[in-house]
Amino acid sequence: MIKKLAAACALGFVLLATLATLGRAAPQESKSSKPAPEDIPPIRMIADPYPAFNGIAVDAANGVVAMSDPNRKSLLLYDRARASQGGASRGEASLPMRQIVGPDTFLGMIAGIILDPRRQEIYTANNDIEDTVVVMPYGASGNVKPARVFSVPHQAWGLALSDVADQIAVTVEVQNTIVFYRRQVKGVEAPVRIIRGPDSGLADPHGIYWDESHNEIGVANHGNFRGVVKNTGGGCAPSFVVEDDAEAGESRPPSIRIFAAGAKDDVRPLRVIQGARTGLDWPMGIAYDPQHDAIVVANNGDSSILIFGRTSNGDVAPLGVIRGDRTGISHPMGIAVDAQNGEMWVSNWGDHSALAFASGARGNVAPKRIIRSAPAGMPTPGFGNPMALAYDSKRDELLVPN
Amino acid sequence: MTQPRIAAFARLANGDVAPNRLITGQNTLLGRTIHGLAYDPTRDEIVVPNALADAVLVFRAAAAGSEHPLRVIQGPRTELVTPHAVSLDLQNREILVASLTGRRINVFRWDANGDAAPVRVIKGPKTELGHVVGLAVDPDRNLLAVANTREILIFNRRDDGDVAPRGRIAGPKTGIIDEPWQMEFYKGRIFLAASNHFHQNLYDGVTLRPEAKVVPDDPWLNPILGFMGIWNITDNGDVAPLAMIRGSFSGLIHPVGLALNPKDGEVYVSDSVRNGVLSFLVPQFFPQENPTSNPDGRQAK
Repeated sequence: MIKKLAAACALGFVLLATLATLGRAAPQESKSSKPAPEDIPPIRMIADPYPAFNGIAVDAANGVVAMSDPNRKSLLLYDRARASQGGASRGEASLPMRQIVGPDTFLGMIAGIILDPRRQEIYTANNDIEDTVVVMPYGASGNVKPARVFSVPHQAWGLALSDVADQIAVTVEVQNTIVFYRRQVKGVEAPVRIIRGPDSGLADPHGIYWDESHNEIGVANHGNFRGVVKNTGGGCAPSFVVEDDAEAGESRPPSIRIFAAGAKDDVRPLRVIQGARTGLDWPMGIAYDPQHDAIVVANNGDSSILIFGRTSNGDVAPLGVIRGDRTGISHPMGIAVDAQNGEMWVSNWGDHSALAFASGARGNVAPKRIIRSAPAGMPTPGFGNPMALAYDSKRDELLVPN
Repeated sequence: MTQPRIAAFARLANGDVAPNRLITGQNTLLGRTIHGLAYDPTRDEIVVPNALADAVLVFRAAAAGSEHPLRVIQGPRTELVTPHAVSLDLQNREILVASLTGRRINVFRWDANGDAAPVRVIKGPKTELGHVVGLAVDPDRNLLAVANTREILIFNRRDDGDVAPRGRIAGPKTGIIDEPWQMEFYKGRIFLAASNHFHQNLYDGVTLRPEAKVVPDDPWLNPILGFMGIWNITDNGDVAPLAMIRGSFSGLIHPVGLALNPKDGEVYVSDSVRNGVLSFLVPQFFPQENPTSNPDGRQAK
């Protein structure tokens, strides 16, 4: 009976919609509270109601760990030390101290996140067509306007801050570039310098760290390279300049490239970690661990954390790897080091969780603490602005690039 | 997209569900910009662009994990410039590639591999190509529809070089405001995800444009909502959609991705604001008869 009713309802919708298609009308906004004929409800919708973590940052001095959430388009702040309290270790969702979310926030498909402990500010990069970096005060909550917003080239991903240089570095994927702004940047300002060009070897850069103690910056590269390095257009950003020449694109091996912190223009890196021995597989977030003089990498492709020596160079194996079923690592996107407490934090894209490991952890080890944005075991569709679809009629499946 | 990957979901999946399988990992050669992909039922393959490596990748449709593509179209002879969307002409066995910053459409044989030259390239000032995303071929009428900047342009399928479009669907009646996105074709009809997000980019590459003064509003908050619209491919001028899905009950805000399933009478739409994939039961959108059957491409009376 219920099935018959459902079928009748569905048929009713179909008839109504059919009537709606009989006449043509321009798609104007309806002024009636009654649904317009073309306002057809979906019969199904795949979506994740929970925050999904991309970037992660930790501030030991203020006891905060923060994550960017491109799914619900929010920032979440948690108490660093109380992370597993409230039942996360038992599989319950963790309660954030604050969540910044809503149309006034300017938060969209956000990726990299950094914290400024001195000024208690959160920076996060909008990777999609917002083309901005958003700066929020630690105390922000709910639907609030940012303290500052500044424009960046399309496809900004990673962020790094230096008090010494008083600058912020931003990686730009499709332009194979690092752009640097003055730290106080607001609105529309030109970068103070850039690193880009064939000698730099930058190829789809993602995570970036700024090691002030050694005056270096390190950048994780996926290896996608548009052949000729052009300073025009790119990605889904419209351009007034037509790129007439073919670019001879390449799919290069992934790499970690270390530059002098003050480098600019087309400069060669000081060191390059690249090759089959490295195990790099879509390196996303990257951080410097001063306690162990190491570079730690969120290795998204094979769900691991790789640890290299700071001075590692060439086709070298990592000094250590955290990987395995006990770790809970699932397609990690972000990584952050808390040197004060000897911890590193990892944000999972394949699971609604962030994990704290001892910074010396290696192998198949369980995390010390867990933050969950959803109860354990909740499915993760994993969407991040899905911009295309296809239907596989043989397998009766929807194909979603996300 | 946040993670480079292709996720395969059961058609009947609903709510908070995990994909059946993922194509993801360094070996896949995927990148994080995919604005149009296509399934080829005749060869059981998936065709995907990688805008960040100037490549078109072809996978077996059952691929899973970090699986290498069957074929990779990449290299200087391909003339690919930031390809971000692909479509298929199954009847003529061709892959069509939309290039945004190149303002061009490259056409390859279905089996192109490596540093292969395109069989045709539509590009140049006469074409008026700008923000090109969706492409759809009507093999019976030999027409090519293009979702372009603020309109739909119609070319002859075999056009090559710097040629003017033969038709244009544009104007206030169309409801297309900015950056129409993925497009599909079925029996004389164009299906379009008209996103209407309003994107302003202040940079050319990494150089700030001199006229840039103010950070634009969030493009996804454009109050003029998007919709899924249908036109006859022979329409021309300021023509309202033949049918559409739009409004608060539809859940569509700024739809971008689009796929069709005529057998079950369903249309699938992805929405970047919702961060979701929505399924609509609309068998009335799939007529059994071809509504515009004149072989010369003029609209049927």
